[in-house]
Amino acid sequence: MRPESRARRLWLVLAAALLGGCAATPVAPWERGRLARWDMGWDPDPLQAAMDRHSHFSKEGTSGEIGAAGGGCGCN
Amino acid sequence: MSASKRPSPSLSLLLAASAALVGNRSARADEAAPPLQSVGYRFHVYDEDAFPDRPVIGSPQRYHVDSQQLALSARAGERETLTLNAVHEVMSGSSPWYLVPGPDRRPIQVLSGATIRDHRNAIDVALTHDAGGNDTTTLDVSYSQERDYHAAAIGAQRSVPLSSALTLGFGGSLSHDRLRPTDAILYGRIERAEKNTWSTFGSLSLVLSKYAVVESGLQLTLQSGYLSDPYKLVTVADQQIADTRPDRRGEAAWLVRYRLAATARASLHADARLAANSWGQHSVTLELGWYQELADGWRLIPGVRYYAQDRARFYAPFFDHADGRYFSSDYRLGAFGALSASLDLRKRFGHWELSAGAERYHAATRYALGGADLADPATVSYSRLFAGLDYHFD
Repeated sequence: MRPESRARRLWLVLAAALLGGCAATPVAPWERGRLARWDMGWDPDPLQAAMDRHSHFSKEGTSGEIGAAGGGCGCN
Repeated sequence: MSASKRPSPSLSLLLAASAALVGNRSARADEAAPPLQSVGYRFHVYDEDAFPDRPVIGSPQRYHVDSQQLALSARAGERETLTLNAVHEVMSGSSPWYLVPGPDRRPIQVLSGATIRDHRNAIDVALTHDAGGNDTTTLDVSYSQERDYHAAAIGAQRSVPLSSALTLGFGGSLSHDRLRPTDAILYGRIERAEKNTWSTFGSLSLVLSKYAVVESGLQLTLQSGYLSDPYKLVTVADQQIADTRPDRRGEAAWLVRYRLAATARASLHADARLAANSWGQHSVTLELGWYQELADGWRLIPGVRYYAQDRARFYAPFFDHADGRYFSSDYRLGAFGALSASLDLRKRFGHWELSAGAERYHAATRYALGGADLADPATVSYSRLFAGLDYHFD
């Protein structure tokens, strides 16, 4: 199997696993207590997330994130 | 530090920014809420595994980096928040230089003989306007400085609610980087070079239920300029020449992030990314994290990550013939994959939070997308430890 098709299949399986059976239902503001918790943030600890990204970015050939990319460094 | 010693430029920048925040605070002293919202500090120790017992020319010790991070967050207006992140890193160790074919055509790594010592200072300032209801605008400016590398970047991003459940995000950034490699004349390296990076993204986040949210986004990046590594050589027809890559690279990354409040005291994080670039590389990244709140303010956060990529079109450990325009044996352009595991432990008491954690990153050619013909001995594994302290003023 070619690497591209393997990657595509992995992605489809993952998307199905994440979204399968999850139909969006209306959620009232007073029902969003759990969604507002610290641990439900996209990056609950921005400092730690920035260092994680920096470590991986400097070792790997591809990168990408949701958000403005920011500046470069001599590590890659 | 002696009394006559002047503070470093990075420390001066940091002090100036702190002074600005303190000034802001005194100007707003009549308001009830403190302008300074939080202060955070992290100390990281990053250590790459030394080369195992195999033929190596040069020092087998690889990179070791000690990093310090400082973050401040403060109110800068009725609806504005200013955040400042500063990083200071000290790096030392040897770097992979080039590969030569061994007797059985297995690649033999040649490392830079002398230990490299360098440091990096970086600062990032962001101003966010929150119009309420997930409607935010952020402007960001950053600067990173090393002895031989300077990068300046600006960015902007918007978050706009489309409905009570759906939020649109979009933005972009531009980075201008300047290189002045050390010992350029001695080693025949390029003396000066520049590169630019444009990046844009768009995303949609959706509230799925009282317990779950999902976000999907696409990021497009275009780089132009000098994209080779001035410190690397490549063996082509038994000769060592400079690492030579195209002067443009386009990259697309598609990401999905999912958060599930699994219980009243725990949540699941699942992130995935599929990326591809114009140099012929593809990658898959899967990440899982579990945020568990324990008794007495303790939190435990285990996580795992899988990353796999295939090789760039012009990558090989070494080239028998000089066919083509581009050549690189940088292991980051080769085929490999990596498994990593992390564990964070946090303890909150009052306004303070202590944190400590570790990550183990194990990379190998056998984890690569589609496998690889020849294992690159430079593929690196590392360990990382961190400790941190945060203070929240609210």
